[in-house]
Amino acid sequence: MAEKKATTKKAPSKKEDTKKVAPVKQEVKKAAAPAAKPKAAPAAAPAAAAAGSTTQQGEARIGVFICHCGTNIAGSMDIPAVEEYAKILPNVAYVDNYKYMCSMPGQAVISKAVKDNHLTGVVVSACSPRLHEPTFRTATKEAGLNPFRFEMANIREQNSWVHMHDREGSTDKAKDAIRIAVAKASLLQDLFPKTVPVEKAAMVVGAGVAGMQAALDLAAAGIKTYLVEADTSIGGRMSQLDKTFPTLDCSQCILTPKMVDVGRASMIELMTWSEVHEVEGYIGNFDVTVRKKARGVITPKEAEARGIVGGGCNGCGDCETACPVVKPNEFEVGMKPRKAIYINHPQVVPLLYTIDFNSCVKCGICVTACGPEKRAIDLESKDEFVKVKVGTVILATGYDIFPIEKKEEWGYKRFENVITSLEFERLICASGPTGGHLIRPSDGETPKRVAFVLCAGSRDNTGTGKPYCSRFCCMYSLKHAHQIIEKIPGCIPYIFYMDIRSFGKMYEEFYYRIQDEGAKFIRGRVANIIEDKKTKNLHVMTDDTLLDRPIDMEVDMVVLAAAVQPKEDTNRTRKLFGVSCSSDGWLLEAHPKLNPCGTTTAGVFLAGVCQGPKDIPDTVASAEGAASAASIPIHMGEVELEPYFATCIEEKCAGCGMCVNLCPYSALALVEKNGRTVMEVTEAKCKGCGTCGGFCPGGAIWMNHFTTPQIVAQIDAFLLGGEQ
Amino acid sequence: MSENGINHKFAFYLGCIAPNRYPGVESASIKAMKKLGVELVPLKGASCCPAPGAFGSIDLAVFYAMAARNLVLAEQMKMDIALVCNGCYKSIWEVNHKLKHNKDLRDAVNEVLKEVDMEYKGTINVYHTAELLYNDKFIGVDKIRDSVTNPLTGARIAVHYGCHLVKPHKDREFEKEVMLNTECPTWMEELVAAIGATPVEYRNKMMCCGAGGGVRGYDIVHALDITNEKLINLMEEKVDALTDICPFCQLQFDRGQIEIQEKFGKTYNLPVLHFAELLGLAQGMSPQELGLDLHGISCEPLLQKVL
Repeated sequence: MAEKKATTKKAPSKKEDTKKVAPVKQEVKKAAAPAAKPKAAPAAAPAAAAAGSTTQQGEARIGVFICHCGTNIAGSMDIPAVEEYAKILPNVAYVDNYKYMCSMPGQAVISKAVKDNHLTGVVVSACSPRLHEPTFRTATKEAGLNPFRFEMANIREQNSWVHMHDREGSTDKAKDAIRIAVAKASLLQDLFPKTVPVEKAAMVVGAGVAGMQAALDLAAAGIKTYLVEADTSIGGRMSQLDKTFPTLDCSQCILTPKMVDVGRASMIELMTWSEVHEVEGYIGNFDVTVRKKARGVITPKEAEARGIVGGGCNGCGDCETACPVVKPNEFEVGMKPRKAIYINHPQVVPLLYTIDFNSCVKCGICVTACGPEKRAIDLESKDEFVKVKVGTVILATGYDIFPIEKKEEWGYKRFENVITSLEFERLICASGPTGGHLIRPSDGETPKRVAFVLCAGSRDNTGTGKPYCSRFCCMYSLKHAHQIIEKIPGCIPYIFYMDIRSFGKMYEEFYYRIQDEGAKFIRGRVANIIEDKKTKNLHVMTDDTLLDRPIDMEVDMVVLAAAVQPKEDTNRTRKLFGVSCSSDGWLLEAHPKLNPCGTTTAGVFLAGVCQGPKDIPDTVASAEGAASAASIPIHMGEVELEPYFATCIEEKCAGCGMCVNLCPYSALALVEKNGRTVMEVTEAKCKGCGTCGGFCPGGAIWMNHFTTPQIVAQIDAFLLGGEQ
Repeated sequence: MSENGINHKFAFYLGCIAPNRYPGVESASIKAMKKLGVELVPLKGASCCPAPGAFGSIDLAVFYAMAARNLVLAEQMKMDIALVCNGCYKSIWEVNHKLKHNKDLRDAVNEVLKEVDMEYKGTINVYHTAELLYNDKFIGVDKIRDSVTNPLTGARIAVHYGCHLVKPHKDREFEKEVMLNTECPTWMEELVAAIGATPVEYRNKMMCCGAGGGVRGYDIVHALDITNEKLINLMEEKVDALTDICPFCQLQFDRGQIEIQEKFGKTYNLPVLHFAELLGLAQGMSPQELGLDLHGISCEPLLQKVL
């Protein structure tokens, strides 16, 4: 810190004696001279030569443009002092400031200054490059310069916003930032982005309502779409639900037409019981390896390929009847049995049985039951790996239910009559394990008093649950209340809530309707639940915060509206596709407001709950947004890649190959050239991370836009305070 | 094993209620723990913990400084603190935890301690004897079972955990690392089983004794109402005794029964014993040695069953 203060103090001394400025400039040029040496080197490398200097000859003339950002920046630092300082920096030919540099007049200031002062580089000292780098690159380009002759100095996010109450400190820090940016801008070179063709195909991972909608939209737009689903059938969570709020239409009734459409769409290639195994490549050219898990049952098409005419699974179910192995049915949340060979429910798409090889004893009874005509069962089937090439990917991997037994005070899994909302959905559903009769698991009796515990594990800061709102529990619990009032005469729902969040279209109206129907609302977070050992009834203990009194309510059944959480294998998905996640574990969008479907990896998009809790309308909207975004590069036919790739200086390369092993993107390879082994870069694969360049023992790797001379100049500018 | 089979030494912080009302807790702790390889060395010059409800609600600065002074005394002995009361645990463990993690608070407390030429350094840990008993790192259930000479066979004993040892679970390290469950814990039941008695579950086990947080001092009828509800739940399970790990809870259940009799006219006569006292019995200490005759409610029915 002391060192930094010393460096910034030097500036005023230079200001006092303006004559000194010129010698300083000369010194800088001398310092820049050795930097010119490696510039000559890439001239030998053809790629870098192309990016070489058209306007590099002669002295660098840099324009510095300081943005006030209203009072965001100007309110926390001395802009005139910063401007005066910038004027005396080496290579600076023009300095200006403006209230909003990103505005049209602001950009015009840049454009005019470049032309009038024959500038060779532009430094805008404003916000984060994540926000406005594209804006100012375009402005630089419109002024007649190569857009990569632009450098940004962040004096807002990394300065004025964090040092709001330290005017002197932030002014000094802004001077440092500008000095460093000018040092780099003086050495910037023209770069030309590459374009790569985009494969006219897309992949959607996860076939719940989000994945299905995205796939249908892509297919409708004429794009071949691979829809990968880990389960045996498409449909996802929505197919487990009974009715949907606030319209109360049957979930399956509105979902099955979509499922059938997906099954029929010629442009959609459905891959159920499959998982993404490996992903290589980049936007426009992803090579995805899909693992088709051993299913043990073949489709009529596959049968035909094996020469079994008229064979393959037709979904008759003879095998299931015969199978002697009984397991809990996961689709029914374990409340109904299934066999080792099974389908989840009658409406599955595709209608194709699956063998659960973890339970199958390979007795062969199903093979006999299937018969010699169909011969659909293959007990020896193995996992298969299929490679497909796609231009863009949509992740729609959905969610898991929070293991609510972790909230021990509510007794889930300890008390029989405490169930989760998903179990309630199956119990109240006509196709569920009880044929739609809500019963108490302890004795099969119909409950007359049912408590609903909202925010079960959501909005929970104890460290056990999730701090976020799961967003759709309020509404489905209102729907559950309606369903029991409708189905069980005299049954009263008691809803224990913190706030009812009925935010959507017609949601508040639905809330009033449920109030009118006779549901009882108690505002209070449930402290604990106690089971009466004899009756298996439950005592719900809470504080009624509206009436300010403790409550001990005896009910027949408790339904916990458990929080939702990211899928168990989210980390695996993240690593496969190079996507980040937010602190709560949901996949991270490129921008929470303005790019909610995109990710920081070009060509990978998000749909539905994998990005954060959403109800069905929001999920479908997000899926359509993702499909639209994912179709753009495909329809454009080609995409532009940032020209930040590495380049090999072949005469320096010893062909050791260490960089090839280090590259995280498999972008490097060793090739024979003129009788020598040298490294070659696949530019489209290179992300410009610089791992190879930093490591290369011979200094044979040139990182475009982050060249060694540029970085050294930045470091010098910081440490030497401009007096190199 | 080091000298005389002693593996661990702790500075023994007594608190207020144990030495004044239930001296058996003190003697039983020292003697029983010694048989298990743990020596409790008196923490000389210690003051009130101070009581978390009474002091903590009124003046936090005094609360922190007083607790810190007790901690410094143990730091000077170069020993971790062991104590027998949930209230003391709340004060001393929590203040130690906070001072270790909050520099501003530590500086402020040290400013006060300077007046008595003391400085808090944060070099020791604080343990409840119950956690020493349960945690294999120190003693563990097996060792306790082996030390029993007079198993309390046939006695139906229910457990009252009290509040401050287990909650708030967010920062109770013992809970996270050893007990793993704050809403329906059973580790105390394991201890009860280890001394030969039959642990009994009862309705709303984790409910408050009624005394804590200054309720006993402020509104005795309200406090007794809570105690009364717990006693009803206990009597339903036909228990022979209730065991606790907090002298304040013990006071509320033991003397509280007499007060309930006076105020509500209800008689339970349920013996209430600190776990240290039960452990002493199981290791062959006499009722006189344990000061059981000083309890408000007679322990005779239990003693007849187990001796």
